[in-house]
Amino acid sequence: MMEINGNTCPEYNLRLSAANSLIDKVKTEIERNTLVKKNLVWLELTGCSGNIISLLNGANPDFKYLITCMTDLIYNNSLMAPEGEAALDALFNNTENGFILAVEGAVSIKNNGLYNIIGRWRGEPITALNAVQLLGEKAAHVIAVGACATHGGVSAARPNPAECVGVQSILKRKVIKLPGCPCHPDWFLGTLAHILLYGEPELDDRDRPLLFYSTLIHDRCPRRSYFDKGIFATKLGEKTCMFKLGCRGPVTRVDCPVRQWNDYVNWPIKDDTPCIGCAMFGFPDKMEPFISYNTTRKR
Amino acid sequence: MIESGKSICQRMKQISEEAEKDIKTIFMQSCIYTRSSALYELGAKIVELEELCEGLIEYEDRQVQPTQLSITAEELSKYSGKNGMPAYVAVNGIVYNVTNNAAWAAATHFGLTAGKDLTGEFASCHAGQSILEKLMIVGKLI
Repeated sequence: MMEINGNTCPEYNLRLSAANSLIDKVKTEIERNTLVKKNLVWLELTGCSGNIISLLNGANPDFKYLITCMTDLIYNNSLMAPEGEAALDALFNNTENGFILAVEGAVSIKNNGLYNIIGRWRGEPITALNAVQLLGEKAAHVIAVGACATHGGVSAARPNPAECVGVQSILKRKVIKLPGCPCHPDWFLGTLAHILLYGEPELDDRDRPLLFYSTLIHDRCPRRSYFDKGIFATKLGEKTCMFKLGCRGPVTRVDCPVRQWNDYVNWPIKDDTPCIGCAMFGFPDKMEPFISYNTTRKR
Repeated sequence: MIESGKSICQRMKQISEEAEKDIKTIFMQSCIYTRSSALYELGAKIVELEELCEGLIEYEDRQVQPTQLSITAEELSKYSGKNGMPAYVAVNGIVYNVTNNAAWAAATHFGLTAGKDLTGEFASCHAGQSILEKLMIVGKLI
């Protein structure tokens, strides 16, 4: 966390603790029985499972607390004990009472979705497209988690052979979007906690929660003063501004510089690699090239 | 941030009106402390006027002089931001310098590269946004 004169900046402190505060309130209210747990369905579609892996790394709270105390996890194909027909029974038989649907991975629409079959139920193949259409219409809230679910992401990168699209392209309803490759555990858990307590959080014009997506990385970058002074890194490993190497911090709206990753210890720019814009719509195609040399001269 | 020429001039006009009041106070008031206070205010206003003048000069440098240059599409293509060249892009017939524009890291922007006429792309993404007036003008595309 950035420190100013040995003390933590109060604004940064508040931002960092926002997700925590919400989750603490959920804990208290569930213990007092003033808040009822909701069912959570986590669909993994066309992607790399990176978002569920990221969520397993959550620290405040940890994953165990999420699936036992905050919600009842009805379905996640990577983590649940049942498999095959039994797993899909759990998915389709427990989705009547205001469940929350989290989706990671893009939706393949080529050949009516046949490029991604998530299982067989009652003898019929269930495509990812079927599952999103069916569950997406019934869910109380839909959260698209990660780059692929929010806008297609890596799964929809050129040449996009499976014709992948984001969840919003399939559903005619509000889809809360948490872009990032992967999504930070706090972005998901904080959004979920807000939904449990107060309903949908305040969103920007692209349906991202303002709690986490309100400032550009560039605006909170610890190397911003180098940019303002025109002091630029010419190769990786230098401690100055990586603008001339192609850093996407100036076009990427999320709180990585404040929150950081892996239990809040580090993030790409702190480790001398440019931001590749993974939390921005259009990633990866529109954020490439990730690194460039021989560009413009220093000012 | 550089303000528009109009907003700088409006502030200058406002300061000169306030300064007239200060001068009147210095002439009319017999109290030495009130007069000293007005004199101090007048000094502060002169300092602000100097700063505004500098801002206006900087604004004029960016907006007026460069538009004299005429640039062909072929010349524009050399300013791709590669191998030490500056990065220029054209929108609606005006060529802008985006070399040090934060959103154009390594002379690329959401899959677009510099050295091109991006009128269509600009209209499809930034219609109605005040972006162009903040960019440095290089010349006209002919």
